[in-house]
Amino acid sequence: MAGATRTPLVRADASRPEAVASLAMAIAVGLIAVGIASLFGLVPIDAAIGGVPTVTALGGLLVVLGAAVIGLGVGSALGYIETEPSPNAGLVATVGFAFVWFVLGGLTASLVLEGGLAWLPAGAVTGGAAFAMTAATREDIGSTLPAGAVAIVVGGTFLTGTIGPVWVWDLGFEQQASMTATFLVPAATIACGLLAGWAAATAYGGFGARGRRMGAYLLIYVNASAIIGVLFLLIAFTAVRGIPGLLTGATVGSGVGPTVSVLGVSVTLPVAVPFVMNGVSLLNDFQGVLPAIVGTVWLVVGAVVLAVPLGVGAAVFLTEYAERGRLTQAVEVATNGLWSTPSIVFGLFGFTFLVPRFGGNKSLLAGMVTLGFMLLPLVLITSREALLAVPDEYRDASAALGVSKWQTIRSVVVPAALPGVVTGTILGVGRIAGETAPILLTMTGGTFVSGDRAADVIGGFAFTSQPPFVTNPELLQATTALPFQLYALITAGVGLGDNVSNPVEFQWATAFVLLLVVLSFYAVGIGARYYFRRRLRHE
Amino acid sequence: MTVALVASLVGFLLASPFTALPVALFLLAAGVGWVRYQGLTARVLTFAMTIATVLILLLITVYITVESIPVIRYETTTVFGVPVPGLRLFTETRWDAVAEPIRYSMVPMIHGTVMVTTIATAVAAPLGVAAALFLSEIAPGAVREVVKPGVEILAGIPSIVYGFIGFTILSPWASEQFRTTGQGSYLFVGIVVGLMALPTVVSVAEDALSSVPESMKSGSLAMGTTDWQTMTSITIPAAFSGVSAAVLLGVGRAIGETMAATVMLRGVPQLTEPLYNVFYGQETLTSLIANNYGNAHGLQMDALFLAGVILFITVLAISIGSQYIEWRMHRKLGGEV
Repeated sequence: MAGATRTPLVRADASRPEAVASLAMAIAVGLIAVGIASLFGLVPIDAAIGGVPTVTALGGLLVVLGAAVIGLGVGSALGYIETEPSPNAGLVATVGFAFVWFVLGGLTASLVLEGGLAWLPAGAVTGGAAFAMTAATREDIGSTLPAGAVAIVVGGTFLTGTIGPVWVWDLGFEQQASMTATFLVPAATIACGLLAGWAAATAYGGFGARGRRMGAYLLIYVNASAIIGVLFLLIAFTAVRGIPGLLTGATVGSGVGPTVSVLGVSVTLPVAVPFVMNGVSLLNDFQGVLPAIVGTVWLVVGAVVLAVPLGVGAAVFLTEYAERGRLTQAVEVATNGLWSTPSIVFGLFGFTFLVPRFGGNKSLLAGMVTLGFMLLPLVLITSREALLAVPDEYRDASAALGVSKWQTIRSVVVPAALPGVVTGTILGVGRIAGETAPILLTMTGGTFVSGDRAADVIGGFAFTSQPPFVTNPELLQATTALPFQLYALITAGVGLGDNVSNPVEFQWATAFVLLLVVLSFYAVGIGARYYFRRRLRHE
Repeated sequence: MTVALVASLVGFLLASPFTALPVALFLLAAGVGWVRYQGLTARVLTFAMTIATVLILLLITVYITVESIPVIRYETTTVFGVPVPGLRLFTETRWDAVAEPIRYSMVPMIHGTVMVTTIATAVAAPLGVAAALFLSEIAPGAVREVVKPGVEILAGIPSIVYGFIGFTILSPWASEQFRTTGQGSYLFVGIVVGLMALPTVVSVAEDALSSVPESMKSGSLAMGTTDWQTMTSITIPAAFSGVSAAVLLGVGRAIGETMAATVMLRGVPQLTEPLYNVFYGQETLTSLIANNYGNAHGLQMDALFLAGVILFITVLAISIGSQYIEWRMHRKLGGEV
């Protein structure tokens, strides 16, 4: 394993430079955090931090950071700090610095010289200088000096007030757009923080192979935590904005909920959440999205009924019966092609192929089949992987008992692959449950649907003497689903106020319910995978 | 049984109400076969299911292409006296379905799709590859167990929810920041779409990186390199084609992304002025379809199908290309394909 070689860096007598480097890294991380916060408007840039205007404070910190980084590099070059620098900073760093300085030089020139193509030679000069600087010098100078200089230059413009909180740069486009300080200052701060932080981390590791490892790891860890941060932020934000709408008029207590009858036994629920238990009608105290939830459930059921047998069957044939050759290759190419086909194209296909065949109207059935087609490649790919993962010993052992091939498949191979198939299906369902584009063209209903019009598929079946002999008006009617409902709420815009008392709350609550439904599929899928994996390890 | 199945398929294609008869016959035949010759029936059934997969792709290709032919005919231009069908779609930039002259140029939408995809790739490719490297090589076990499902969940957040957050939060903010008239910019649609393409890049690139044989990495580490050196000089070069296939698939996702683009863009099919003005967002191929399907008739509807055909062919080519790259990589690493 690659991580097994990780050793603590033990070097004697290196405490002070390391302290400087870690301080620089701390400043850089702090600057990035402040930059992000001010992008979100949490730290307004025209305000002050501790009596100093924010822009000036950021500029000062950037200059200090740049000076510290350059100091580390120069100290190492003069031999005050014990390091192991490589002969140069490496190709990636060289190209990166050249690019950053090209942009910086070009931007400055086009700001100062006002138009023309003067930015091109100016950028080329600064970029070329940075390139030569990085490429020609030893690593300790080459990877710190350009980075530190960027921080000092940018910090200097903030510090001297060249770019103040009210600075605006009209880009002069035909469609008008301007660069404002409220965006540029935080963005430049984050970029400088990343650059100088990387240089400081390299210095902390003592340059050379170890230093580069430190620098790269810093960036990669920042990246990974940013991704998780974004995810957490998205979910938390939707939850915070959505929960008030979801809980409007919700009550808990015995006998307050609607009565549900299961197998003839009526139970009165002890909770009432009108948002998910009501439709929209004039008489309701609180409006809700019940028809959309029911619609989504039926869509998913229909898609699973269509896609899972098809997908699993095809996977069985491909892994167990077919010889590797033209056919399997064609099927693989087709499956992957289907997997990457844009969802709106499935919608178009459903619109031209399925809708005319199911009565000419947009209908629940058409939506089901379209989503089933989308689910099919996901099921096929994951089932195929699960079947391939079943060890050949199982098949041999079963065949040695003298049973037929099909019996082996039925009672040995498929049960062994079942966990993988189930997990893959659940994750695939989570994906299609949130799809809007295909159902937009195949089964759209109204924006606000009253509760009694929630689709009742089971009760809708009827037999007729006309071909095709089985009819189900419920299946052939347009209904609504959560993702479409959200889309309709967005596009409806102002007109919402007539139907719902608090449209914004209603929108966020719908988004939150949709997110809950989809993420619960994912939670079940990921949970199932852990469960099966742990059980496998025990055996 | 096979005859009945084929008959029901034909019936379905012809939209005949008598389709139910062969379907019933097929079910009957399958039922009888299941009881008497279970093995053979299972084999035939699974074979039919396999064929169905290929058939669906073929049906999609045929049906959306056929629908788009009238508009290709309508937009015929003569070049040196030779009429070339469909050429005017790409030489003019006017899309107007109402006022004369009625034109269905695809250029503004292709421009929009290219802008969004470029920005999205600039976001998703470096971040995705770095995250894949983190997951497959660097992260300690416990961190990995948290980050990996996190990336999967990121893929699971419905695109309309991204679009909703972008529409209500990001677009007004961007409009205020950059002092644009009205809301909707390719820049932020690109960033959001890049975030949505990220999980695809991460998972495929991670597969590629972890398929590099352990012996190659150990050999490098035994020479006394740091693990970062091993990654840059052994793992990434060995998995390079797989990683580029991952980026390609991410590009494919970004091209096909619909809902976020639809709700965040302006929905006016025209070019931005100047062409590289990313602070304005007009229309992409996908959002064109989603915005106009409701009130489109005749030629305009066919033009929407043409947009679908362009999308479909581009993405299919990308998919096949990335599969070819992956196949070559597996062969190079000496594993079984």
